[in-house]
Amino acid sequence: MSADHLPEHPDFLWRNPDPKKSYDAVIVGGGGHGLATAYFLAKNHGMTNIAILEKGWLAGGNMARNTTIIRSNYLWDESAAIYEHALKLWEILPEELEYDFLFSQRGVMNLAHTLGDVRESIRRVGANRLNGVDAEWLDPQQVKELCPILNTSDNIRYPVMGATYQPRAGIAKHDHVAWAFARKCDELGVDIIQNCEVTGFIKDGDKVTGVKTSRGTINTEKVGLCAAGHSSVLAEMAGFRLPIQSHPLQALVSELHEPVHPTVVMSNHVHVYVSQAHKGELVMGAGVDSYNGYGQRGSFHVIEEQMAAAVELFPIFARAHVLRTWGGIVDTTLDASPIVGVTPVENMFVNCGWGTGGFKGTPAAGLTFAHTIATGAPHELNKPFALERFETGALIDEHGAAAVAH
Amino acid sequence: MLLISCPNCGPRDETEFHYGGQAHIAYPENPNDLSDREWAEYLFYRENTKGTFAERWVHSTGCRQWFNMLRDTVSYDIHAIYAMGQPRPDYPADQASAPGLAPGAATPASSATTPTSSEGV
Amino acid sequence: MAETATPAETANVDHVRAARRSPGQHLAEAFASGSVPGTVTLTEIPYQTMVGIRVDRESDGGARVASLTGGLPAACGEVTGAGSINSLWLGPAEFLVVAPEEAHDSLCGSLVADLTAALGSDPGQVVDLSANRTTYELSGSRARAVLEKTCSLDLHPRVFKAGTALATELAHIPVLLWKTGEESYRVFPRASFADFLGRWILDAMREYASPEVP
Ligand SMILES: Cc1cc2nc3c(=O)[nH]c(=O)nc-3n(C[C@H](O)[C@H](O)[C@H](O)COP(=O)(O)OP(=O)(O)OC[C@H]3O[C@@H](n4cnc5c(N)ncnc54)[C@H](O)[C@@H]3O)c2cc1C
Ligand SMILES: [Zn+2]
Repeated sequence: MSADHLPEHPDFLWRNPDPKKSYDAVIVGGGGHGLATAYFLAKNHGMTNIAILEKGWLAGGNMARNTTIIRSNYLWDESAAIYEHALKLWEILPEELEYDFLFSQRGVMNLAHTLGDVRESIRRVGANRLNGVDAEWLDPQQVKELCPILNTSDNIRYPVMGATYQPRAGIAKHDHVAWAFARKCDELGVDIIQNCEVTGFIKDGDKVTGVKTSRGTINTEKVGLCAAGHSSVLAEMAGFRLPIQSHPLQALVSELHEPVHPTVVMSNHVHVYVSQAHKGELVMGAGVDSYNGYGQRGSFHVIEEQMAAAVELFPIFARAHVLRTWGGIVDTTLDASPIVGVTPVENMFVNCGWGTGGFKGTPAAGLTFAHTIATGAPHELNKPFALERFETGALIDEHGAAAVAH
Repeated sequence: MLLISCPNCGPRDETEFHYGGQAHIAYPENPNDLSDREWAEYLFYRENTKGTFAERWVHSTGCRQWFNMLRDTVSYDIHAIYAMGQPRPDYPADQASAPGLAPGAATPASSATTPTSSEGV
Repeated sequence: MAETATPAETANVDHVRAARRSPGQHLAEAFASGSVPGTVTLTEIPYQTMVGIRVDRESDGGARVASLTGGLPAACGEVTGAGSINSLWLGPAEFLVVAPEEAHDSLCGSLVADLTAALGSDPGQVVDLSANRTTYELSGSRARAVLEKTCSLDLHPRVFKAGTALATELAHIPVLLWKTGEESYRVFPRASFADFLGRWILDAMREYASPEVP
């Protein structure tokens, strides 16, 4: 077949410009957070002479590798505030970005399998409600009604003793989210520059003045780091440290099936989280590999454990086949909360540490990080998530709400 | 799945081990003298090297002993395995003489002489 | 060491025995019917006396313990012993002494007390772990094939010799695996995993009950 016979390429959603000599701000990393940050910089702060520099292709990092779970049922006030704000943004973004990225508020269940789980979950439901987050406690019968394919009998090793449920939570189509932001960014004048790896920073004393890239040097007033798993590498180039450890995190999909799974089910205890995507594939997330890694792949035993958990909870899945598995590199912190704010380097800002659960935070990360970059000071919502909390001790421990599963 | 050569037991599946993070972190000599920044560094800041990384592992299902390992965090290749308390070997400079090279190299017999202790940094 | 038991002691022994339930007891019938005599058989050897020892084998305390146990193993895989008392290597300074049920102090034996006395006040520990694990004996020409379905160690006789014991994983759970003869193995799962592992092994044995497909 010659090129003449190929159909027209669909409309390109963004230009592929060459980098300019200088920008008012440069965002490092073309994942969801970099895109959302650029979007809000342009939209809310009128900064349009800006660029996103992405070493690979747009959304080729965690953005298009995650299991797309969106929820806001975190324990502490600070987290509930930022994740709930994100959820409210998710609710209006399809209209604002003029792109239906299939945000589906089908609810998310977090299963409890032990008495400890039950107590922790009920406590969290209470905390959520005080923060205006729609959270409910379901008994096993109600769990079964919402998700009939779940095994709620007591013949399994860790029977389901109940679940928290957030009806407004759900999933979205992550690559479409990236494209939606990218198209809007492009319309607003943002340069999205792919295949452009940042290899160093130019500093004047403690102040950053430019970035070195695989496509030449670019001068800039400000730099915002949105490099997820590679945040430590970039911080080191810039001369400061981050309390981040990068780990492989894996997920997998089955082949396509009839609709069988109406909601999203997460179990931190036996460790699996499952939804059925719009086309019909079962999407499941695993745990992180214990070791530090940048290899974008993890160990098979992690997948095996996750499958064992999935089949025990959903006996019907025993007949499904794994189609693909893959891994991303997640940037974990010790309190399972992100870092969004200023850095020791003047005019350089960092958004990282979202670890295994930053997809849901994308709009709020973008909004608050753009505010921080534009004004030089944090937004109310990201103030508690400053780097300095590791010195003050004001940690925001979300291991209970986050565990590894997000 | 990594195949890790325990200095005591020889090559075993990764599932028999637990990860202990960055190696060679010494407990502060004078904890009371540390500033908040230094405490933060000690408690929360660890290297996150992309490349050759010195880290601790424990053979939890086997001999329950800790040891150090040099591993590439991108290729996941294991470059050296050495005892707790021993300094980090040079890599790649010292590659040929590093103890317990890569999976399979260390056998229980040859490693019986490797000093092991759970002390050290 | 124990002298001849008095009637009162014997009564107590019977009482102890009657009260006991071994971790694999409820599977006894399934083990019997799932075994294929001559090919592969699975049985539980309940209530072995097991004592955890932590001691530097080069030390005086180590030497005194070793004199009771018939040596202490020096390296991974080694088992030392004299007669019915054997010591398995768990780590450079950690060993498991395994002896028959009668050696236990509650049954007129004195192994735990003797080992405790041997260590004395020297650094180390002697802990009665008899209730920690049970023992499954898997034997027959297909015993190795059954284990190889889940064990990632090289079990070929060229590598894994009779008289060797290793701490490893079977079916994702930690066990001690002791090759006691060319075709017989003793597997020590912790009590809470005994049911799971017993059923797992039974399942792995099933194919050998059917005629081989040519
Ligand atoms: C398997 C998996 C499942 C997940 N499931 C969920 C979930 O269900 N719900 C949820 O909320 N979160 C989930 N997450 C987490 C979520 O994906 C991340 O927290 C989030 O995507 C991180 O933000 P990002 O999209 O900007 O990251 P990324 O898409 O990783 O963006 C970072 C970008 O920076 C680029 N970069 C790095 N170094 C440089 C450099 N030197 N120069 C230029 N560019 C550079 C990278 O190439 C990359 O494209 C999951 C993650 C994984 C891996
Ligand atoms: Zn070992």
